[in-house]
Amino acid sequence: MKTMQWLIKRELWEHKGMLCWAPAVVAAAISALALLATFVNQNISYNGAMVTPQNIIVTIEGETRTRIVDTLAHNYVAAAMPVYMVLGFLVFFYCLGALHDERRDRSILFWKSLPVSDTTTVLSKALMALVVSPLIVIGIGLAMSLLLLLAAGVKVALHGTNLFGELLVTPELYLAPLRVLALVPVYFVWALPTVGWLLMVSSMARSKVFLWAVGIPVGAGLLLLWAQKALGFDINAGWVISHVFNRLLLGVIPGSWLSFGSLAAAPDIAPAAGLVAFIFEQSWASLAQPAAWLGALAGMAMLAVAVKMRRRREEG
Amino acid sequence: MTTAHNAVITATGLTKQYGRQAALNGVNFTINSGRIVGLIGPNGSGKTTTLKAILGLTPFEGNLSVLGRDPRTERELLMNDVCFIADVAILPKWLKVKDAIDFVAGVHPRFDRARAEHYIAQTKLTPDMKVKAMSKGMVVQLHLALVMAIDARLLVLDEPTLGLDILYRKQFYQNLLEDYFDDDKTIVITTHQIEEVEHILTDLMFIEDGRIVLAASMDQVGERFTEVMVEPQYVAAATALNPLSRRTVFGKAIMLFDGADRTQLATFGELRTPSVADLFVATMKGQPQ
Repeated sequence: MKTMQWLIKRELWEHKGMLCWAPAVVAAAISALALLATFVNQNISYNGAMVTPQNIIVTIEGETRTRIVDTLAHNYVAAAMPVYMVLGFLVFFYCLGALHDERRDRSILFWKSLPVSDTTTVLSKALMALVVSPLIVIGIGLAMSLLLLLAAGVKVALHGTNLFGELLVTPELYLAPLRVLALVPVYFVWALPTVGWLLMVSSMARSKVFLWAVGIPVGAGLLLLWAQKALGFDINAGWVISHVFNRLLLGVIPGSWLSFGSLAAAPDIAPAAGLVAFIFEQSWASLAQPAAWLGALAGMAMLAVAVKMRRRREEG
Repeated sequence: MTTAHNAVITATGLTKQYGRQAALNGVNFTINSGRIVGLIGPNGSGKTTTLKAILGLTPFEGNLSVLGRDPRTERELLMNDVCFIADVAILPKWLKVKDAIDFVAGVHPRFDRARAEHYIAQTKLTPDMKVKAMSKGMVVQLHLALVMAIDARLLVLDEPTLGLDILYRKQFYQNLLEDYFDDDKTIVITTHQIEEVEHILTDLMFIEDGRIVLAASMDQVGERFTEVMVEPQYVAAATALNPLSRRTVFGKAIMLFDGADRTQLATFGELRTPSVADLFVATMKGQPQ
């Protein structure tokens, strides 16, 4: 357990720039743009006269007020959606390099001179991708969501309507971040096949890891399509591509599970007010599909291959 | 304690094939506790393969027992008691000095932090320095400081001082001998700078073409091999005794004999104990191709 902590720390030292700073910079850029859009004066022409919005005082009361508070409390965490999407890229490229970089710079010989097993090492990298990185990104995303919520509240208050009191007593305000955090286990299961595949390729390829990792599934998919269309084989290439090849590459994208199988049609009926709650429910419901767990099993098998490769492979 | 009990490494029929090329060809040897063994051979002789086999970094055939364990299957346990520097400059670029110390202290039960910091203090390394910013020599200094602070029973050094200047090289071997080495420890060293290690070695192993061609303690080497600066008038007589090698320095013939009678040799000229380097060259030349 202590060794695992140090291995995770080690990964953080190495990938601080990618796993912490990249999402932080994206979040900062989006926040800056959003704040700029919120607070910079935009002059509005009203009946031929220029009116600065700062002068407009609007008092929102009654049902509209309740609805605004409700929508804000429910969905403010969705403001960080672009940051969460960055997670997919981060995890993808982290995994590609995780077992390859140490071989390329030969530092694997140093790591192997310490009493740390290959299994623990590979597991630490998988945990980094499946748990630690999502937590970091969620932390940054939630901080950004709160900042933007605060900005929206201040903006509305400047125009005469103070919503903070009601917002703070709305339970949803506190439940929404928990719902986002509760997606980590779902992410774990659905991203496992992709993380397993990428780490396995990372442990095997001598060079050009990206080409191998992407080329094999894409090439195989195209071959199947060709066999089906041009040669008339009785195979459902589309099914194989969406159930096998896509999951080797796209599983690390947060929410990939929402467009999988029976849930694919669901977004049409998504209620606007409780979007986050809806996503939360649909996400956990996605785990009821056997495909989720079959993929996770395949992911674990590929991790086992990566461990074996790291142990048996000769360096230098 | 019996000798078998004392053996740190025992190899029997150690064989390693790379395709059809044999890197190790049924090698047998024993290394006992409390020895400093120089494993010496030309490039491609199987030196590095032997070390890799000992460290469980390569699959092989035959039997090999390191501290009573099989490196193929018990590598992780073995690494608690074995430490190695497999090559120079293999520390990752992003590693900071203080992080390196923290990490090894965190995962290695036999690491002594104070000791590592003591060695670091003798260098120009600072805690926040990254490997990326270090000279080649400084990387080696960091790596050596980490390794010397680990109380391992077997230390394997593959060209440990490559890239270091002469001052630090001397310092390193001195530290190794004075602070690190004791009767419970065993050190296996390979290096091309034989002159620098020969005075600290207790045993020699020459390896060529995947075979051990000489394995002896330094005492035995001293008894077996003699170098004679042959006076010109005795050259023919000395050559008749079939010397291992012969070279000429300042017009004088120097011949190296294996197991010849010293009193007889003394009549030819001045006797000397051959340097390991000369012995190495002679042994390698003497092998039938």
